[in-house]
Amino acid sequence: MAETALIDVKEHNLLAALRGFFKTVLKQEEISAILVPRRLPVTPTVMPTLVTDPKHLDAADPLSPAFPINAAKIVSRLTRRESGGKVAAVMRPCEIRAFVELVKLKQGRTEDLVIIGLDCLGAFSNRDYFQWISEDADACTEKFCSVMLTGDSSGGSRELASACRVCEQPVPAGADITVGLFGVDTAGRIPVTAQSAAGEDLFAKLGLRVGEEPTARRKAIEKLVAERTAARDAMFEATRATVDNLEKLTGYLANCVNCYNCRVACPVCYCRECVFVTDVFDHEPSQYLRWAARKGAVKMPTDTVFYHITRLAHMSTACVGCGQCSNACPNDIPVMELFRTVAHRTQQAFDYRAGRSLDDKPPLAEFKEDEFQEVVGIEA
Amino acid sequence: MHKKIGKALVVGAGISGIRAALDLAETGYGVTLIDRSPHMGGVLSQLDHQFPTDRCGMCKMLPLVDRDASSQYCLRKGLFHENIEILLSTELVSVDGEPGNFQVLLRQKSNWVDPQRCIGCGECAAVCPVEVPDTFNVGFSPRKAIYLPLPHAVPNSYIIDLSACTQCGECEKICPTGAVCLSEQERKRFRILVVDDELIVRDSLKEWLEEEGFSVDMADSGAQALQKLANDTFHLMLTDIKMPGMDGVELLEKAKEDQPGMCVVMMTAYATVETAVEAMKIGAFDYLVKPFEPDKLIPMVVRIYEDLEATRGRRVEAGAVVVCGGTAYYDPSSGINPFGYKVLDGVVTSLEFERIFSGSGPSAGKLVRPGDGRPVRRVAWIHCVGSRDLQAEADFCSSICCMYAIKEARLAREKSHGEVETTLFFMDMRTFGKSFQRYRDQAESVCGVRFERGRVHSVVGDPDNGDLLIRYVDTAGKVSESRQDMVVLAVGQRPAAGSAGLAAALDLPLNSWGFGQTEPFSLTRTARQGIFLGGSFSGLKDIGESVTQASSAALAASRVIHQSGGSLALETPPAAAPRNVLREPPDMLVVLCICGGTLVQNGGGSVLIERLSVDPAVSNVTTIDKTCTSEGWEQLVELVEKHKPNRLLIGACQPYVYARKIRQLAARIGLDASLLDVVDLHLSAVRSPNDPCDPPDGFHPALRRQLAALETGLARLKHVDPVRRSALKVQQRALVVGGGIAGMSAALAIADHGYPVDMVEEQATLGGNLQWLKRTLEGEDVTALFDETRQKIDKHPLIETHCSSRILTSFGKVGHFVTTVETEGEELRTLEHGAVVLATGGKEAPTDAYGYGTSECIVTQKEFEMKWADGSLDAGKLNSVVMIQCVGSREEPRNYCSRVCCPSALKHALALQKENPEISVTILYRDMMTTGFTETYFTEARRRQVLFVQYATDNKPTVKVDGGGARVTVFEPIVGKELEIEADLVVLATGIVPNLPGKLAAAFGATIDPDGFFQEAESKWRPVDSLKEGIFACGLALSPRSVTEAIATAEAAAQRALRILCRDSLPAGKIVATVRRSLCSLCERCIDACPYQARALDANGEKVIVNAAMCQGCGECATVCPNNASVVDGFGQKQMLEIIDAAFH
Repeated sequence: MAETALIDVKEHNLLAALRGFFKTVLKQEEISAILVPRRLPVTPTVMPTLVTDPKHLDAADPLSPAFPINAAKIVSRLTRRESGGKVAAVMRPCEIRAFVELVKLKQGRTEDLVIIGLDCLGAFSNRDYFQWISEDADACTEKFCSVMLTGDSSGGSRELASACRVCEQPVPAGADITVGLFGVDTAGRIPVTAQSAAGEDLFAKLGLRVGEEPTARRKAIEKLVAERTAARDAMFEATRATVDNLEKLTGYLANCVNCYNCRVACPVCYCRECVFVTDVFDHEPSQYLRWAARKGAVKMPTDTVFYHITRLAHMSTACVGCGQCSNACPNDIPVMELFRTVAHRTQQAFDYRAGRSLDDKPPLAEFKEDEFQEVVGIEA
Repeated sequence: MHKKIGKALVVGAGISGIRAALDLAETGYGVTLIDRSPHMGGVLSQLDHQFPTDRCGMCKMLPLVDRDASSQYCLRKGLFHENIEILLSTELVSVDGEPGNFQVLLRQKSNWVDPQRCIGCGECAAVCPVEVPDTFNVGFSPRKAIYLPLPHAVPNSYIIDLSACTQCGECEKICPTGAVCLSEQERKRFRILVVDDELIVRDSLKEWLEEEGFSVDMADSGAQALQKLANDTFHLMLTDIKMPGMDGVELLEKAKEDQPGMCVVMMTAYATVETAVEAMKIGAFDYLVKPFEPDKLIPMVVRIYEDLEATRGRRVEAGAVVVCGGTAYYDPSSGINPFGYKVLDGVVTSLEFERIFSGSGPSAGKLVRPGDGRPVRRVAWIHCVGSRDLQAEADFCSSICCMYAIKEARLAREKSHGEVETTLFFMDMRTFGKSFQRYRDQAESVCGVRFERGRVHSVVGDPDNGDLLIRYVDTAGKVSESRQDMVVLAVGQRPAAGSAGLAAALDLPLNSWGFGQTEPFSLTRTARQGIFLGGSFSGLKDIGESVTQASSAALAASRVIHQSGGSLALETPPAAAPRNVLREPPDMLVVLCICGGTLVQNGGGSVLIERLSVDPAVSNVTTIDKTCTSEGWEQLVELVEKHKPNRLLIGACQPYVYARKIRQLAARIGLDASLLDVVDLHLSAVRSPNDPCDPPDGFHPALRRQLAALETGLARLKHVDPVRRSALKVQQRALVVGGGIAGMSAALAIADHGYPVDMVEEQATLGGNLQWLKRTLEGEDVTALFDETRQKIDKHPLIETHCSSRILTSFGKVGHFVTTVETEGEELRTLEHGAVVLATGGKEAPTDAYGYGTSECIVTQKEFEMKWADGSLDAGKLNSVVMIQCVGSREEPRNYCSRVCCPSALKHALALQKENPEISVTILYRDMMTTGFTETYFTEARRRQVLFVQYATDNKPTVKVDGGGARVTVFEPIVGKELEIEADLVVLATGIVPNLPGKLAAAFGATIDPDGFFQEAESKWRPVDSLKEGIFACGLALSPRSVTEAIATAEAAAQRALRILCRDSLPAGKIVATVRRSLCSLCERCIDACPYQARALDANGEKVIVNAAMCQGCGECATVCPNNASVVDGFGQKQMLEIIDAAFH
C-alpha cells in the first residue's frame, strides 16, 4: 500500500512548495545530489541540472512548459556505472519511461537512484516556448499551471506540443515518489506518494505529514486520459492515411535532409554511433551511377526514407512518445506522429508497452518459439 | 592440418550411419559411408515430424567444432564432409582380413545418369513415357522411370529405374548436358572379340552385335586372337571350338591366363557339345550351338553385359566396420489378420500416414483417404500390428510405435485445429523414454487424443457409406464397435531386406527373428571382432537411441582402429597459407558456363558480359562450355592460371556440386576458398509463366534474373574479407564425474585412446549400483562385469581415480576447464581438462506408499534383489508374492517411466517361479514396459502362470499389513470386481531418481531438467551433449536405463568428448561473429540472444567477448545489434546491402 503525505502550498505559490520539497530531499544524508529542471542564469532556458547546493534549487522549475531535452539520457549518464553517491532525479513521465527502456538496454541503473515524478502538465515545442516566455518566468509558469489545471485561459494560451496533446500517459508510472497535481487544489495541499521500496525508504526520512490523496485526482486523470486517448487515436488514423504506401511515406519524409537531429534527440536511440554515419553507408561513386541508370533518376541524399525505416525497425518497440524527434526537426517533419503510430502497433503486437515495467523483457531480446507463426510460416 | 589416422567403413546411411560416420570423421578418421539405396537418410527422408518436438532438427547433428570441414545445410538434403566418402547405390559384398585391417569389396550399381553432369533440370522426366508408383510417397503418387529418388536432395541427380525403363532413349536425346548414358551408348565400351575361322560367321556376328551397339573385333585364329588380347582389353570373347591350329579350348585356357576377368562363350557344332561342357569346367561362361539366330545370341550377350555393368566392384580398406543396416516394417497384408489393409479404402500403415500428412506427400498434406480421396474426420490407430503377436511370429515389441502413433494423432489434431477426431487402440502404452509420459499425457489432456485400451479384432467396411468399422474388445472384455474414416496400422519392425545376406557376408549372428545379435552388456559389439552394429539393425529404436548407439558403435570402431596402431594411416601435407588479398583491389574473373548453348539461346551471353564488364572490380568476363565436365573444368583452371585473379565468380548450375572442386582450385592457386564462388544461372533462367512473352525493352525477365544472380555474387565476392581465426588450445585430458558403470565405461573409452582421465567418485569405492545388482533379466552376470571393469580401471595407466571426492567449483569452456576437487583428508586439487563427462548416476526412489516401512513383508525391488542375492529370501517358504509397479512413477511430480522396473519385476517373478513352481506371483501394473525383445520374458511369465492385473491411477491397489503378511486389494477390470490377495511379500517398483545436483551441473555450464536429470542439448539429435559444448552426460544422470544401455550412453559420451580431445587445438569456423568495440554500446542484447552461450561481458564489464570456438556464426547477435557493432564475418552489412540491392535488379 502506497504511503501518501501532503505538502502545504503557501501563498498560492506552487513552485515554492515544490522547491521546498526538493530541498528537504536534498538535505537527506543519503542523497548526494538532485537532478531537476532548472532555469539557467540570464536566459529563461530550462535545462536538467545536477544540484548539490540547496540554494540553486530556487531556480528549479519542474512545471515550466519547456522541454528542450529528454532527461532520460542524462540520468543514464549519471547511473551507467557506480557513482559513489545517490541521486534524486525529477523527471517527466515520458522521461521515466524512456529511462526504463534504457535500463533494459543496460544504459542506466536504478541502484543509487530515486526518481521523483510529477503529474505532467505538458510542454510547448521549443520554438513556441521561446516565443511565449517572458522575463518574469515564475509568473509565466504560474499562468501555465493555472491554464492546465483549472482551464482558465483568460490570460491567453498556446497549444501544447503535438506529442503532449496526444499523451495519454501524463501520470508518472515507474517513479519512486510521485507528486500529484491533477484534480488537486494546488492552492492548498499537494499529495506526495511513495511508489516503491526505495521511495518508501526516503519517504520515511522526510518527516512529511501523512495524509490522503484527494479523491478528485483519480477522476481528473481519468477524464484527461480519455480525452488524450481519443486525440491520440484520431492522430493515429490521420497519420496512417498519410503514410499508407511507400510513395506517400516518401512524400511525408520529403523534407528530410539527413541531419540526424531526431536520432540525437531520441532518448532511446542508444547507439554510440548510428549505423547511418558508419562506413556502411559510404557508397561507392559507381553505385550512385548504377542506381541512377537503373531508375533514370535518383533523389539525393539517397538514404532518407531508409534511415527512418531503419530507426523505426530498431526503436519502435522502445518509443515512449516524448516527441523530442519532432521538436528537433529543422524542417518540421511530423516525426513523432509517424513513430508513435508505428510504435503503437509494434508494441501492441508483442503485448509490450515501452517504459511500462522493468520486468517486461524487450520484445526482440527474447525468443518465443510459438509466436507469429502466421508470419514466419512455421506451425507448432 | 588433417591427419587421417585410420579408415572405417559405415554400412547404411540412415540416421545411425550418418551419426557414426560423422563421429568418426570428426575424430579424424577417413570414412567410407555406403548405402544400397540411391539416397541418404533412410526412413527419415520420408518423415517430416519427430516426437517429442514434432518437427525435424536433423541438422543439429552437424559438426559444431571445425564445422567448415562439413556442409552446413539441411541434413535431410544431403551431407558433405572432408573425411567422408559417400557411395550410394552400393552394397557390401564381402569383408576379409582382421580387425584393424579389413579388405572390403563393394558393389556399386550404375544409375545410368552421370551425377557429375546432371543438373536436375527435369527435362528427361518430362519426356519419359514410363510411369510407375513412387516409392518415396509409398506408391501413392506416380513417377517416371527416370526420376529423383529424393525430391529434396542437394545436389539432386536423376536416376533411371532399370526395372521400369524401356530404353526408348528419349531422355538421352533431350538431356542438355549429356548426363544420361543409356546402356546402348555404354555398350560401345563393351568390347567383344569374335574368333572363328569362317569369315561368314565372323561377319554376320559382327553385324548383329554392332547393331546392338557393342564394339566388335575379329580374329580368324587362336593365335591372332591371343595377339589381340595381348594388346587390348576385351570383356567378352565368342570363340569357335573347332579351328585349325589352336582350337577354342586351348585358346580359352591361354586367354584366361591373360585376361582372367573376361567372359568367354564357346560356339560349337552339335557334335562337340560335350567339349563345350568341358570348356565350361575350365572357365567358359556358356556355349552356343551352331547354327544360331541373332535372337539366341543377343539376349545372352546383353545379359552378360548387364551383369558386368551391374557389378562394378570396388575395394576399400577399413580398420573397422559399423553396420547400420536399418530395419523394415511389417506388411499387414502378409499376415493372418490384415485389418482390411490393401482391401478397404482408408486403411493405411503408419508410414503411409506420414506421407499423406507430409507437405511433399501425394495430397500435399491434406488429410484425405488415398484411393477414394474422401476427406478424413475420424482417424484411429491400431497399435501392435505385427508386434507382440505370436500369430505374426512376432514375440517382440517394436519399441517406437506407441510414440509415433501418439505423435501422428497429436499432429492430426493440431493441424486440423481439433476438427479431426483421433483414437488410439492399444494394449500397453509404452512411454518408456525421457519426456514420453508427459508427451502422452498432454496428447490426452491438451490435444484431445482419445486413448482406448483394448484389442482390435477386425476392421470391416460399411458397404453403405464406405466408413470403416473397428471391432474391438475393451478392458472389461466387452466387444464394441467404432466408426472411422481412416484406420492407421502402427506397424512393427521386421528385419530389413537383405539382412540375412549382409549378416552372412559379414559372418554375423542374427537373433531368432532375424535381427542383429550383439554381445552381452553391449548394444554394438558382435561376435565378430572389429564389426559393430548401430541403429535399428539390432531392433527398432527411436532416433535418440539410434544416435546414441551409433556414437557408441563409432567409439568401438575407433577403439579397434586405434588399438591396431591407426593402421592405413593417410596424412595430407599441410596446406600453404593462402595469399593475403585484403590490401589488393578486387581483380575478378567471371566465367559463365554456356551450358551446351542454352545461355546463348536466351540471347544472354553477350548482354551479360557487357553488363558485368562495367563493374570496375571485374577484370575479365569469359565463357566456357559445360563447366561441370572435366574438360570444362580443366579449361577453367587454365583460365584462372592465366589471369591470376584474386577473386573468381562462376556462373553455372548446381553450385553445391562445386564445393569440393572450389576448395581444390583455391588451394592450387593459393587463394582462400571464400574468394571463389558459384552462382546458379540455371535456376534463375527458368522461365516463369508470369514472364511477359515480349518484354518492352527486349530484356527478358529470365535474363534479368540471371544478371541479378551474377551481380549478387559479385557484390558478395567484392567485400569478402577472409580472416583466419586463431585456434584455441585444448587440454587433451578428460574429467569423468561418477564412478558407476557409466563413469567407468566412459573413462576407459577415453583412456583407451591415449588421453589421461581423472575420475571423481563421491563414495569410498567405485561401482555405484553395480554393488548390489547381480544379474540381468537375460541372466547375464553383473558382478562379473563389475569385477572385470574395475580391474581394467585399476590397471589403466592413464586413469586416476579420486574416491571420497567431490567437485567444488569449475570454470572454463570447451577445450579448457579448470575444476577444483576436494578429497576427504587431502588438500584441494585443481584439475585442468578439455571435456567433462557427467556420470553421477541415480538411485532407487524412496517411498512411503503402500505401507512401506510398516512391515518387513513390504520391500522395494532393490531390497528384493539384495535379499535374493544374500539368500535371506527363501522362495520355498513363500506362497504368494504381489508386485506393484509404477509406485510414485509416471504421475506428477515424478511423471516419467523408469524403464527398468518392469523387466526387473519379470526377472524376480521368473526367479521365484523357477525356485518354487507352486508359488503364486501377481504383478499389478499400469502398462508393462517390456520393450524390444524383453517382450519374450513377458510372454514367458504369462506362460508360467504369473498373474498380471492392470490398474488405473484413479483406482490404485491398497495394501493392508496383516500379521506377518499383507492383504492387497485391486480392482480387476476383466471380472469387474475387487480382488483380495493374501501376500507373504509385496514388492514395490519405485523407479529411479537421478543424483545430479543442479549446482554441480551449473558449475560446468550444463543444466538439469525438471525431474533432475541432465538436460541434453536435444533429445533426438544430441542426446548425450549439453547445449554448452564440451560437457556430456551418460548413464542414469541422463535418464533411467539398464546397465547395457548405460554403457552405450557412456561410450557415446566418450566418443563425443573424443572429437574434442583428439585435437591439440580447436579450429574456429571461418564464419564467426566479432564485436567492433568502438561502436558497441554494451547493451548486452547479443549476450542474451546468443543460443550457444558464446558471448560474455569481460570481467571489468567493459567489453563483450566472443568465444570463437563456441560461436556457430548463426548471426543472432548481428540481428539484434542495431548499429552493426556485432558483425558476422563474411556477412558485413555493407556487403549484405549491396547483395540485396543487386538481387532487386
